[in-house]
Amino acid sequence: MKIIKMFFDIEKEEKWLNEQLQKGYRCTNINGFGIYTFEETDNSYVIRLDCQEYMSKRKSEEYIGLHEDFGWTYLKGSWLGGIRYWQKEAGNHNEIFSDRQSKGNYYKRVMNYCLVLGMFCLIYSFMLFSDQPTLYFDGLWSMEGSLFCKALIFETPFVLLKLLPVFMAIIFGISYYKAYQKHSILKE
Amino acid sequence: MKQHKLLPLSETMHYILLALREPLHGYAVMQKVENLSHGTVVLAAGTLYGAIENLNKHGWIEPVGNSGRRKFYVITTEGKEILSRENERLSHIVSLYEGGEPNENN
Repeated sequence: MKIIKMFFDIEKEEKWLNEQLQKGYRCTNINGFGIYTFEETDNSYVIRLDCQEYMSKRKSEEYIGLHEDFGWTYLKGSWLGGIRYWQKEAGNHNEIFSDRQSKGNYYKRVMNYCLVLGMFCLIYSFMLFSDQPTLYFDGLWSMEGSLFCKALIFETPFVLLKLLPVFMAIIFGISYYKAYQKHSILKE
Repeated sequence: MKQHKLLPLSETMHYILLALREPLHGYAVMQKVENLSHGTVVLAAGTLYGAIENLNKHGWIEPVGNSGRRKFYVITTEGKEILSRENERLSHIVSLYEGGEPNENN
């Protein structure tokens, strides 16, 4: 079974993945384009998401090796950093964090991750708009009647596409704030 | 003197430092901590990884070799000093529990 989905919120993604597992599946692959592959199973599994920045090859081996010793399988992660997906057969130890301090540090890393991606989107849209500051082309507003309507409908998808990085920056901003809230609760 | 950000030691850090008085790899640290704490502290993989990173960064533990892909760590002299300071702090608290020095400052 393949499902295509897109997430901007790491906790929602984790929750959704585990909902799929509870229906009697286990995840076999996750790719960068948001395609999640599942396979039916009689055993029950859990997935946990971690967020880590760039690691050297040796660090990465240590990170993965330690989790594997605990019975976790590395589903996906990028060497560049970001979200790392861990799956394990459900048992006694179903969490990857066992104290407040480490859970707090995790939210701190999620905050940094959202910040970097959000800034990237913001800079990208800034470049886009400094190149061409208007959304619709100038002549559009002097058109009349049905021609105006057609031109407006024709152009709107392109305008939305141009606004996409702005929307994404806002979404990452919201995710940043959510992680910040959880981080500060744990810090208390 | 400004207090170190890992002090006073959290339960996790405390047990890991105590366990690493002998060289151990990650998973063995978890098992030993479970033993030392009579099963009350069960470290999860991510927590243990982060704690080892952190303690290593501050020079309280150090890597002492590999066995396959498993890395062994052991406490450093600095780490031992931290433990003895924590020992004093906790002994004092325990002595208060036992009703010692009630009117020292009055």
